[in-house]
Amino acid sequence: MNLARRVRAVESDVCIVGSGITAAMVAARLARTTSASIVVVEAGDDTVPLAQRPAARDRFLRYGENPWGVDHIDGYEIDGPLQSRSMQVGGLAMHWGGVTPRFSPEDFRQHTLYGVGTDWPISYDDLEPFYEEAERVLGVAGEQGPAEMDPRRAPFPLPALPLTYNLELLQQWAAKAGIAMWSQPSAKNSVPYDGRPQCCRNDTCTPICPIGAKYSPDFTWNALRRSNRVRLLPRTLVRHLALDPSGKTVALAVALDRDHPDTPLELHAKTFVVAAGYTWSSHLLLLSAQSGAPNGVANRSGLVGKYLAGHRNVQAFVDLPIRLYPGMSDQHSLVTKQFMRHKAGSPFIRHDLRVWESASGKGPRLADDSGGLMLGDAILADWRKRTQTGAARVRAYYDVVPDRASELTLDPSRKNAWGDPLPRLAFRDAPESAALRGKTEDSVRALFADMARVGNGKVTRTSVDGFQDHPSGGCRMGDDASTSVVDSHGRTHDHENLFVVGAPTSVSGGCANATLTFCALSLRAAREMERGLPSAGPRKS
Amino acid sequence: MPALPRSFIDRRRFLTLLAAAVPTVALVRRAHAAALEHLESDPGTLDALADAVLPSELGRAGIARVAADFRAWGAGYRENAELVHGYGTSRLRFTGPTPLTRWTTQLDALDAAARSAHDRAFRDLSRDDRESLVRAALAKERLDRMPAVGAANHVALALLAHFYDSADAADLCYTAKIGKSTCRPLAASPHAPERKLRVLER
Repeated sequence: MNLARRVRAVESDVCIVGSGITAAMVAARLARTTSASIVVVEAGDDTVPLAQRPAARDRFLRYGENPWGVDHIDGYEIDGPLQSRSMQVGGLAMHWGGVTPRFSPEDFRQHTLYGVGTDWPISYDDLEPFYEEAERVLGVAGEQGPAEMDPRRAPFPLPALPLTYNLELLQQWAAKAGIAMWSQPSAKNSVPYDGRPQCCRNDTCTPICPIGAKYSPDFTWNALRRSNRVRLLPRTLVRHLALDPSGKTVALAVALDRDHPDTPLELHAKTFVVAAGYTWSSHLLLLSAQSGAPNGVANRSGLVGKYLAGHRNVQAFVDLPIRLYPGMSDQHSLVTKQFMRHKAGSPFIRHDLRVWESASGKGPRLADDSGGLMLGDAILADWRKRTQTGAARVRAYYDVVPDRASELTLDPSRKNAWGDPLPRLAFRDAPESAALRGKTEDSVRALFADMARVGNGKVTRTSVDGFQDHPSGGCRMGDDASTSVVDSHGRTHDHENLFVVGAPTSVSGGCANATLTFCALSLRAAREMERGLPSAGPRKS
Repeated sequence: MPALPRSFIDRRRFLTLLAAAVPTVALVRRAHAAALEHLESDPGTLDALADAVLPSELGRAGIARVAADFRAWGAGYRENAELVHGYGTSRLRFTGPTPLTRWTTQLDALDAAARSAHDRAFRDLSRDDRESLVRAALAKERLDRMPAVGAANHVALALLAHFYDSADAADLCYTAKIGKSTCRPLAASPHAPERKLRVLER
């Protein structure tokens, strides 16, 4: 009797691990430009269909419930600041804010310009065509800021989201403080685009847009699945990348179908693309340690999981003597790149600046100033009195240069249900960044105080978020195989048919929301992948 | 003290016992259902409470709508539902036990206090007398901001939090049609929200 378990094998030209926004960029481009067969593997479940999102949003608003159904795998509590527990088709970009600034040219040359951090192996100019492509795919609505701060070759594909009445007043306030601010570029439809409707300010972009006016990767996956251009396998966890005997290429991916865990699953492909974000990409490479690659796949440099990057923020609330109407749109903001221009000869400090309407300190309350309970008309009267003036939220993301010890490692003390060690995350500032942290945060606080003074207002509350937002890195790119994991196209130095794309390949976290940059990097990587794949050729009718 | 109706004592004791019992899933579900049935079959005390603590500008009809929506909120509550994920953590959070059991007990306590002090049901007292009883019930609460509805320690606070979190409350405060968290034309963004006339009916 043959007791060997039957192995299920799935063959393709390209196997993409992960189904988040960068995976969607790669799959959509390859589906358009090549005739390659594409398999996409996602550990999480399929996402909530668009038709069910209004009801899911309603439960979020009323009860705070997660609107995304079962979007996690049990037993994945890890040590360290995981960006989000979400695992589902579409990834974290199912609940992203849709905020899509580009990095600035300086982000790619910090060492050359300022003597800190590491230069990227590509320039802003190298990435610009892919920024444009990403903006078209996502449907970015925006307006160009002053050209010297906000260089771009082509206009945004969609007109900017109009400023609300509140933001127009706050823009005037910022101008008085000498700060030029404009509408934050966003992947939200200012006009109907790509079969999706115009935004109507439901104002729950994070965590859920109920109408699909905000781009999310499920739209790309739906289109690719409808046209049979990709085969998407949800609930399938890739656990190991197996190398061929030479060690030069990945031969197959060993996966687990969560619905049939006892049937081994192998994914065979000519090209493998790891597009699983800053945590799960490095995690998979480290889990894939084997003979010939004892420290993990693509890890001859020992840098897989290292140089995790991101940015911290300083935030404040400012009371201003202007009448605002919070609730018009508290997810859209003003932005400036004015403070991304570091002044020569001064300490290295760079940050963005955003301004939102706010209801902070202006909400209804139960006790008056003397602590007495208010009921009935008294609460409303008190609330009205305190809302004759307005409040703004101001926030600056500032550069944090990552240290080598800013890292993801395998945690032997925590394992998932299938016995694989979970990741452990620890972020560390490089010494030059750690030395400047106090000065940077003081500088931002001083800016907020200046803005408040100019507006005859006052700062009511300031905080510094210790968590590094928009995390990236772990498989950073570079020209030198001894100091990086992938080349500028995301191809691993060690294995010619293995790419890592998006967030993990970032050299630094910049000082602005980074998703558009991750998308542009992925599209640039996809162009490189095309070279080894059959072209699309003329379409058959 | 006037005698309490037997059914009142039975229900109150039943709910108290259920709330204090070991919260097995089945028992908790029964407690939630019983509390909900109590709220829906005997809405008078909650309506009278709403009238005592909500702003009079809402008018009778508006106050009744808020109370009805509060009951609907209670009916829709799900225990142990996954809450929206936080960023920067892998920890999952879930909704807690139903608040309806304690709220119905508190409504019954308000009624009992009314009968004790005034020899009448809470719903039959004047607005001032009802407000006094609510103040007495909240005397030991630490109060400042509005709590989250489900986390409110007292049904009066939950009702207030429920109303003041709504788009209608913001519009009433600003006397403007802001319509927060509702679908609104993008083209109207640059303009101050239209003014909203105050409701004067009472």
